[in-house]
Amino acid sequence: MTAPLLACRDLVCGYGRPVLEGVTFDVGPGEIVALLGGSGCGKSTLLRTITGLLPPLAGEVRVLGAPIYDLDAEARGQVLRRTGTAFQQDALFGSMTVADNIALPLRELTDLPEPVIREMVRMKLALVGLTGFERRAPASLSGGQRKRAALARATILDPDLVFCDEPSAGLDPVVAASIDAALLQLRAVLGMGLVIVTHELESIRAIADRAVMFGRGTLCAAGTIDELIASRDRDVYTFFHPRSA
Amino acid sequence: MPEPLTVEREPRSVRVHLHGDLALATARDVYARLQPIARRRGVRKVVVDFARAGRIDSSGVAVIGLVRSWCARHDKQLELASLDDRQRAALEMLPPPAAVVRRTLEEQVVEPVTALEVVGERVAGVASAAAALVALVAATLRQGVLVATRRRRLPAGSVGSQIVAMGFDGMFIVTLLAFLLGVTMGFQGVTQLQRLGAGVFVADMIGLSMVRELGPLIVAIILAGRTGAAIAAELGTMRVRSEIDALATMGIDPHRFLILPRLLAITVVGPGLTLIATFVGVFGGTLVASIALDMPMAAFWERIHERLAAGDFAHGLAKSLVFAWIIAIAGSHLGMRAEGDPTSVGQATTRAVVTSIFGIILFDAAFAVWGPG
Ligand SMILES: Nc1ncnc2c1ncn2[C@@H]1O[C@H](COP(=O)(O)OP(=O)(O)O)[C@@H](O)[C@H]1O
Ligand SMILES: [Mg+2]
Repeated sequence: MTAPLLACRDLVCGYGRPVLEGVTFDVGPGEIVALLGGSGCGKSTLLRTITGLLPPLAGEVRVLGAPIYDLDAEARGQVLRRTGTAFQQDALFGSMTVADNIALPLRELTDLPEPVIREMVRMKLALVGLTGFERRAPASLSGGQRKRAALARATILDPDLVFCDEPSAGLDPVVAASIDAALLQLRAVLGMGLVIVTHELESIRAIADRAVMFGRGTLCAAGTIDELIASRDRDVYTFFHPRSA
Repeated sequence: MPEPLTVEREPRSVRVHLHGDLALATARDVYARLQPIARRRGVRKVVVDFARAGRIDSSGVAVIGLVRSWCARHDKQLELASLDDRQRAALEMLPPPAAVVRRTLEEQVVEPVTALEVVGERVAGVASAAAALVALVAATLRQGVLVATRRRRLPAGSVGSQIVAMGFDGMFIVTLLAFLLGVTMGFQGVTQLQRLGAGVFVADMIGLSMVRELGPLIVAIILAGRTGAAIAAELGTMRVRSEIDALATMGIDPHRFLILPRLLAITVVGPGLTLIATFVGVFGGTLVASIALDMPMAAFWERIHERLAAGDFAHGLAKSLVFAWIIAIAGSHLGMRAEGDPTSVGQATTRAVVTSIFGIILFDAAFAVWGPG
């Protein structure tokens, strides 16, 4: 197997005090890995650490093979440019149109001519099912549309690895399914790896190849979705069979 | 870089051989070379040959998409030859006809903030504020150097639009207040000095105090209230909505993207408004004095002209520059430190105004005591 896109080794992350400890897992090329766990267990915190925003308290993170926290800001920026992040809040820039939001990394980081940039934006909007939304203000979009616009922005540079924090939280099942579809479509076309934080069982079943589960301040289970569903571990069982508890 | 493409002319068609990857690094060149070919008259058919092409990414697909639409528009035939499976798959990204979009009501997830978090945040905030301030100034200066040495660029038009926002916003109120201030001073000056039979000295008083002290100060206070507050509110909102994190994960430095344009703009706007305020203030003062003392205004202006040295203007402008930076840095620093929920944006804004006015008066006093004459 080729080198993993993401490798965490004995990672401890938190804000001064550890929130999660002993986190070790990999994400391989083109793989979709779900990060699972109850609300407040530290999934977003872990995501901040692996996206270069929150230095780990201990352990190692390698993103695309690079130990990002050992690099200077410039070199870390170079690595992060090959990843994309869609935040739990969509983090679209309210003062820009949808198209300008998505085009921002292109305008800032490349010297592509404007027509090519516009065509790329149109393409990515089509991939996430937002054709024709170029000139809309983010505030005029629904929650699901904003998430998909954020996804288009996160993937505009064809990243090798994309992070998504709760892409379908708070959305109805139909819209949630449309986001799953957008993620699968993006992966099919771009071949990127995906790390998704989610609670939605449906969504995990539909798209994840593997899952890593957190609880009680640590990584408590990892494996393919089928393995986890078959697991007899109490926490894992409760998560995958919520009604039987 | 090796040529990204070679062109083979045939009687009524053109054959373009792509070499290597058609990706971010080469898309610009390929686009620039393909555009004239696809537009050339007499060419009925364009063949793009992928036999020697490598990987295509979104930018490459976009370029091919554009070529395709020109060809369609100009009635030319386009053929994409020798595509391999991966290239064909990538090209399938080109948008199909408009899709149907379903709308939903938005739901917002609000994460609660516990009392413990608030207290912790306060304590940590005080402890790390100074370090963060130094880091912010250092990072902004570093980005300034990168921009000055052309290794990075500012977002297009950002400084200009900030100057317009800050300058035009403050212009009216600054003019009005400076005029009223001048009138008050002129009136007071005349009443006091006339008793001593020294009415004409009111010109010295108005001139000196407007140029050296009151012009810079009144502009600084208005800028702190309007622009400093706006900076803190804008950056604070972006921080709270994760927009600053979003920039960071894109590898875009927020100091360059957000703070530097504001700092540069206020560097122009602060002294600029100060000049305006000074002249309007002196005008208001001399207007009142000339009416009260029944002397021509020109006499006062001449006297001011005699008494004021270039050094006095330099003194005033130098101060206004420092005031402007205090305002921009306080606003940026406190805005960037907003965290959590929207109320922290309000706090950041208030604090930015109070902190910068405090800093301005402190600096003014220090400058009066220790500064150059
Ligand atoms: N900025 C912060 N400073 C200190 N503690 C935080 C901060 N953000 C989150 N936490 C705490 O870290 C823990 C994990 O939060 P989070 O990673 O957001 O959980 P989730 O798994 O729901 O995404 C929570 O107890 C939360 O209170
Ligand atoms: Mg979270």
